[in-house]
Amino acid sequence: MNPKNHRERLVVVGSLLLVGASLAAQAQTPPPGRLLASNCFQCHGTNGKGPGFDKLAGKSANEIYKDLKEFQSGKEGTGLMAKHSMGYTDAQMRQLSQWLSTQR
Amino acid sequence: MDRRYFLAAVTAAAAASATSVLADDDRKTSKPTSAATPAGTVVKARVIVIGGGMAGATVAKYLRLWGDAVEVTLIERMPTYTSNIMSSLVLTGQRTMSSLSFKYDALRSKYGVTVVFGDVVAVDPITAKVTLADKTVLTADRIVMAPGIEFDTVPGLGTSDKMPHAWKAGTQTTLLANQLKAMRSGQNMVLTIPLAPYRCPPGPYERACLIADWLKTHKPGSKLIVLDANPDFVTEKDNFTNAFLGLHGSVIEYHNNAGVQSVDPANMTVYAAGGLTVTGAVVNMIPRQRAGGLIAATGLNNATKLAGDTAFRFAGVDVLSYASTQPGAGKVHIIGDSSATTQPKAGHIANQEAKVCADAISRILAGGSPDPAPVTNSACFSTITATQASWLHAIFQYDSVSHSMLSVAAATGASAGWDKDSFEDMNKWFGALMTDSFA
Repeated sequence: MNPKNHRERLVVVGSLLLVGASLAAQAQTPPPGRLLASNCFQCHGTNGKGPGFDKLAGKSANEIYKDLKEFQSGKEGTGLMAKHSMGYTDAQMRQLSQWLSTQR
Repeated sequence: MDRRYFLAAVTAAAAASATSVLADDDRKTSKPTSAATPAGTVVKARVIVIGGGMAGATVAKYLRLWGDAVEVTLIERMPTYTSNIMSSLVLTGQRTMSSLSFKYDALRSKYGVTVVFGDVVAVDPITAKVTLADKTVLTADRIVMAPGIEFDTVPGLGTSDKMPHAWKAGTQTTLLANQLKAMRSGQNMVLTIPLAPYRCPPGPYERACLIADWLKTHKPGSKLIVLDANPDFVTEKDNFTNAFLGLHGSVIEYHNNAGVQSVDPANMTVYAAGGLTVTGAVVNMIPRQRAGGLIAATGLNNATKLAGDTAFRFAGVDVLSYASTQPGAGKVHIIGDSSATTQPKAGHIANQEAKVCADAISRILAGGSPDPAPVTNSACFSTITATQASWLHAIFQYDSVSHSMLSVAAATGASAGWDKDSFEDMNKWFGALMTDSFA
């Protein structure tokens, strides 16, 4: 087992313990990234499911993150999304992409 | 008293203008959509939302979408919402009023929001009680106020409808559209822009562009005189300068620092700062604005004064949760155009303020704290002609030093010019935004 896998497994075990310890509190704490991702909903629909511009639900976190990075790099032109992608930190983009990937 | 009876009582009271008082122990546990849950099991927190515009509808929807731990009652005067966004296109005959009309049915049926049509006459911010015109009293754990804006009195205007603002879409919009239609070619129109802050910063300028374009083909020889109380274009300066002075230069006559001092509707005359006197066959008089009357009536107006003001215009809020900054009134949250923040007063960002507020209230009611680093965004399109539009965008990040939302410079700005693609995007954006807010 390499150190990275080991760390991931520890994180999973830790999370399970947390869930077991306080199920009610867990249920009431909003999932990370949800509020950030809700900035997408005005144009891409509630939970990224449309109607509106491209559907975001159903995409992987990597796809969404990569798309945002391409908008940010200017490869996709100088449209509104290029401007929008400049507003988030890298960590925020990863977090909102991760949450959107849970939407099917 | 079970939930059904409680709702029936509210409805009956509203219908008969009878008196009905709901005490704290009337709180019930079942979802408004389902009476199956036995009473007395889990007491849900109760949130009352006052005002069913962009901010109010969105916060009601998201409070329910993001958790079943909260009962939400939305109180609104009108059975349907008329969108201000896109309403200038009614003036040029490109849109109908019915295309701007949105109902509250989905909030009820999809999300279980209790919608009460009524007029709130008093809010007690300390005990979180709301009194309706029919004397019904509702209690809550939290109150969200989203009453929008109210207009200042214009000296000389009185109750005349000869100079409509058409800045709250509805009968005023139809009135102005009819006046424009009836105007003879060669006659002039006057449009006045109030001192900022007002609802929809680019709105008056985009309306001027759209009408100027329309005048060219429908009323040849007519001019549009724009009296701007502000020293310069309030926003999107490059596009509006190019449109006012270039594209529409033959039609628009622009005066800055020209705030309206008084009007004479009998002679269709406007007296502005600097001794400027103008007349028009049509006058679109957009007055200065302040928070919806309920904010001042509740004592929550504690921010924003313009020169000469004796009272504050808008409600100061903590932008982590939109809770009032008025001492003791922390159970009341104010979102949308009534609140005083660094963010623009506009529908798209009101929708995002509502989501931040809903998330914060859900966390607070569960014993937690609001997200310490909220992000909001503003986006809109401006009609520069009947078929072409520009866009304007900003992202705001919370700044823990100033306790305010700061715009991210790289993400703030407008399109370089205008085109047909953006006009099409505008229609798509409007559909998406309204669905995210009302359906």
